[in-house]
Amino acid sequence: MLDGILSGIRVVDLTWVLAGPFATRILADCGAEVIKVQSMKTAKGTEANLNGYFNTWNRNKRSITLDMSRPEARDLMLRLATISDVMVENFSPRVMANWGLTYEELKKANETLIMVSMSAMGQTGPWKDRVAFAPALHALSGLTYLSSYGDEQPVGLGYAYGDHVIGLYGALAVLAALEDRFRTGRGHHVDLSGYEALCTLMGPAIMGESLGGTPARPQGNRSDRFDACPSGCYPCRGTDRWCVISVSTDEEWGALCRVLDRVDLRDDERFRTLAARCSHEEQLDDLLRGWTAEQTAEEVVAFLQEAGVPAGIVQTAEDLAHDPHLRARRYFVPLEHPVLGRTLADRSPIRFEEDEPLDWKAAPQLGEDNRYVFRELLGLTEEEFLGHQESGVIS
Amino acid sequence: MERPGGGSIRRPGSSAASGAAKRADPFSEYTDANKLGITLDIESEEGRRLFLRLVAKADVVVESFPPGHLATIGCSYEVMSGANPGLVLASVTGFGQTGPRSGYRSCDLVACAFGGQMYVTGEPAASPLRAYGEQSSCVASLFAAVGVLLALIKRRKTGKGEHIDISSQEAVAGTLDHVLVRYLYDGIVPRRQGSLAWNRSSFILPCRDGHIHVSIAQQWETLVEWVAAEGMAEDLREERWNDEVYRSRHVDHVMDVLRRWTLGHDVEELVETAQAMRFPWAAVARPADVASSPQLIAREFFRAAGPAGPGGGPAMPGMPYRFDGSSSGPARRAPLPGEDNQRVYRDHLGLSEEEVARLARSGII
Repeated sequence: MLDGILSGIRVVDLTWVLAGPFATRILADCGAEVIKVQSMKTAKGTEANLNGYFNTWNRNKRSITLDMSRPEARDLMLRLATISDVMVENFSPRVMANWGLTYEELKKANETLIMVSMSAMGQTGPWKDRVAFAPALHALSGLTYLSSYGDEQPVGLGYAYGDHVIGLYGALAVLAALEDRFRTGRGHHVDLSGYEALCTLMGPAIMGESLGGTPARPQGNRSDRFDACPSGCYPCRGTDRWCVISVSTDEEWGALCRVLDRVDLRDDERFRTLAARCSHEEQLDDLLRGWTAEQTAEEVVAFLQEAGVPAGIVQTAEDLAHDPHLRARRYFVPLEHPVLGRTLADRSPIRFEEDEPLDWKAAPQLGEDNRYVFRELLGLTEEEFLGHQESGVIS
Repeated sequence: MERPGGGSIRRPGSSAASGAAKRADPFSEYTDANKLGITLDIESEEGRRLFLRLVAKADVVVESFPPGHLATIGCSYEVMSGANPGLVLASVTGFGQTGPRSGYRSCDLVACAFGGQMYVTGEPAASPLRAYGEQSSCVASLFAAVGVLLALIKRRKTGKGEHIDISSQEAVAGTLDHVLVRYLYDGIVPRRQGSLAWNRSSFILPCRDGHIHVSIAQQWETLVEWVAAEGMAEDLREERWNDEVYRSRHVDHVMDVLRRWTLGHDVEELVETAQAMRFPWAAVARPADVASSPQLIAREFFRAAGPAGPGGGPAMPGMPYRFDGSSSGPARRAPLPGEDNQRVYRDHLGLSEEEVARLARSGII
């Protein structure tokens, strides 16, 4: 695979959709040999190899096929475990046990194996068998309720943000376990709960409950971490174009007044301090809205940033794809795919100086690496390999 | 590391007030738990030299100054790695260390806007909506933590450190699920549509005592049977609703019918029945519900954070994973400014007691 920090580390990847694949993508981007275990039966929807979604979250990985409902598949998985460093799975807790592949059993095959189980609720507890995808976990953690305009109608995020967060914790767990294995030579079983991962993002709001203060409530675009005023999202010229502006210091307030050509406001008693500005929020929002609506978001942000005021364009996916700053940082990486052609993918936000991801591979095709893994790595004879293919074990 | 006196060295306007006036602030209690606290005036020459002595004994430095600031005070990565070639430096900023916007001012709102989170969040007829809880910082920090562990593993092989460059904008743009993928592959610009998922198969409905997250992606006919058994299915039993495409196109009607049904129930009652049929439904929880969640309590997810506040320390979320079955254990509460000056400067760095006292008097620490 790639030449990188994790070259020489082999990962058996039993994950699907996003949370698990995002975790193993981080490892694959860094050179780990990630072997994704698929099957003809399940390679559908987000797991269909020619889907753009699949290509995005499974680049740099290998693919093998194995029908886990067949008893022979268990034996092959155990053999794969013996020659691997890490196994990652994101099934409900009962699935691996049903296949006879609990950590205890895998450990008999490989004493130093690191296994990370990423389930919705964790491997234990009264809700362990509950099913949930990222939006349900957003809801359970309080993120949905608090990411709303007010109390009446919860809104929440428009995408499966939580899956990335769970994936990041998954990668963190693998790396922490590897670091410990370097030191102690021991393997680990990590029980990662998606629900808990989301709750770590809500720490202060949850702690607020036991500190006995005012409970956190949804407050639109206001922050309860930083005091700022004016601060919010304002309409700009064009259809559904928006900018954000956030003024917290007196210096930033002075700069905003200069850009608005309203230096008189700077000396106005009503707005002299942050506290005073906060108590005249509506007036300031109206004033800003009047100004931003006349200009493009790009103009507003360029003027304000030049003057030293935190401001941003509310970017669409299209804006992101053409963002000059991201382009200068080569955020999008071309991946040549044998069927899909030249595709683009986001680069990892983890950047090391001097790294240039020039040799990244598109996602594998279904079972592309069957021969390499079963014949070369596991040492099956040609006869055994073909036999398993014919009988549908490797399929 | 904070400024002498404990003034924030981070963004002004922080509600984490300074010094003795600092009250129980859940943000710093949470993010600074388990850390030691020292103070240092890094911008003075003596402070700078002391900092480089700390660097020489450290494995990792994490900083979030504007790009270039550390270089202007004589503490660039080059200088630091001169003092310690194995040092891993992680720089976490709004836009990263390079590129035309690296000098832009950022904050969570700016990162969420520029990163693409806001445009796809909120009601279609209202303004874009920022995610709660400084998510751009949370996720940039997670990328940084993963990067630090990677750099430490690399150091085992090469003996050399690394400078890791994390941009909050990229951290947000890198955690957008379908949003960029659909544009890059299908030319679709995803828009915000309230609580309705992009594939129109899940949404939030009101109940008697709160709200519930409902998914209709799986087992449609089972769901309709359930609702019909209570006489609330209206026209949903008609054949055309079994067609996924038709259902998706007319999801507003599905939501209206189901809303009339959910309004007659309590959240937990619906969640329990739904989960028994393996529907991925969930309560829209408030922080108080999270704090009293039977699942989280059974797994000992919360840990006490030292003896602070009335009635003991606050219940703090622990790590989201157990290594070999063990939970995170108790946490050390967040330090007061300079609380560990003696321990760090005297015990770790080997300064004499008089030296530490002199540095404190002269305002260096």
